[in-house]
Amino acid sequence: MKSAAINTRSFKQQAVRFTLSLPVQATLYTSVCTLTIWTLYFSSYPPAHDSLHQVRHNTLMVGCH
Amino acid sequence: MVKFKLKNRQITPSLLISILGLIGGSTNSLAAGSQPKIQLTTVPPIEQVVPADKPVKLTFQAVDEQGKRVEKAKIRLQIFTPAKTPWLTSDFPIVEGTQLLDLEAFASTGELQLQKVLPIRGKYQLIVDVQPIDGKAFTPTQQTFTVSVPEKSVKYLNFGILAVVLLGVGLGGGWVLGESQKTLPGEIAPERVRLLLSGAILVAIASLLVVNIRAELAESHHHGDHVHGKHSHSEDRPSPALQTKWLGEDQATVGKLAQIGLQLSDRNTGNPITDAVLQVKAIGNEHNETVFLYQGVPDATGKLTWQQQFFDGAPHTIQVKVSPQPGATRQFPSFQVSQEIEVAGVAPPLSVRFITLAYLTGILVLGLGLGIKLRRSPKFLQFAQRPKTQEL
Repeated sequence: MKSAAINTRSFKQQAVRFTLSLPVQATLYTSVCTLTIWTLYFSSYPPAHDSLHQVRHNTLMVGCH
Repeated sequence: MVKFKLKNRQITPSLLISILGLIGGSTNSLAAGSQPKIQLTTVPPIEQVVPADKPVKLTFQAVDEQGKRVEKAKIRLQIFTPAKTPWLTSDFPIVEGTQLLDLEAFASTGELQLQKVLPIRGKYQLIVDVQPIDGKAFTPTQQTFTVSVPEKSVKYLNFGILAVVLLGVGLGGGWVLGESQKTLPGEIAPERVRLLLSGAILVAIASLLVVNIRAELAESHHHGDHVHGKHSHSEDRPSPALQTKWLGEDQATVGKLAQIGLQLSDRNTGNPITDAVLQVKAIGNEHNETVFLYQGVPDATGKLTWQQQFFDGAPHTIQVKVSPQPGATRQFPSFQVSQEIEVAGVAPPLSVRFITLAYLTGILVLGLGLGIKLRRSPKFLQFAQRPKTQEL
């Protein structure tokens, strides 16, 4: 029982250490930013597309319909 | 046989006919068997053309070897857009590598003139075929023109601003993440990392909120445009003497040619009308912008037809003003008819969008890497660990 509790705490600490490691943090940060860029400049979702239509057409390398 | 005397030579009727034929031939200056040349002029000059902006006036003139206008010609014009560039896409990737226009016209003075919006930057191919109407006045010829349209300058500026913003965002994130942090007892994550992630998530939420609110406002404005677009039909005035029949499609797709045309006939007799002038105007209803202007005459069957690609996925209106030809026997009041064409937009291919997203993410990652490196550089660490001087 005691060893199981120690294993659980050790696993939690490893998970926290892994989550807070630089590569994981950098990946999370990059993913959030990339998702935002996609929504603003590339998404076909009509509200996003219509509201930023002119911005998309006036930015180099951004394709529209 | 009647004979005439010219100095010491007797002129027979057959010789007279030959002389008259030579005189007649010189007014149509191209000898049978010779090929005319085609000259192209654009207004504005091609280097000043802005893509997807105002229509460009294209004038094609067929001339003989002496530079005189060729008469009674049939001119066919085909316009092809620049080739596909997936690694550096334009803002209309579906339009790249397609045909924009296919039009054939009777050119009594060897001239074909039209106005067309060129949608994207790059090298357009304009293929012009000139044939004699009677089939024998001159040898048919084909010429290909390559016109290079520059990109909109504002695009470079906007991309530069975006790149700087992404670099800054990456740099800032890397600066925060690059700090060596320890978790205090009771904390799940270091405070600064939590703050950074929270900030990034807040920015994402704010961006989505702004986008959605603006989309709601744009939607209500778009309904007003629809009402304004329908107003153009109230200018239609059917003619009591002439009957018009729309030919071709009322639906089109971006990237493909749509067949468009009009047929004129006498309302009483049903005979085709050939002595009229048709002024064609294609308008994009979304922004009420003219994308195509052309003046032509119907053929022997009373038809004026052409194929055109609509590069913007939005409703368009084709307006045709019908007027009598100057000096023609048939005179009637000018009238206008119009036809709405629904154009289906096509989303850019995912691959093209992912390529540009990769470029932008690369700039972000570059900033991130720079930020981390700067934060953990020995020089900065030395500076950070210097003892603070005490105030005197």
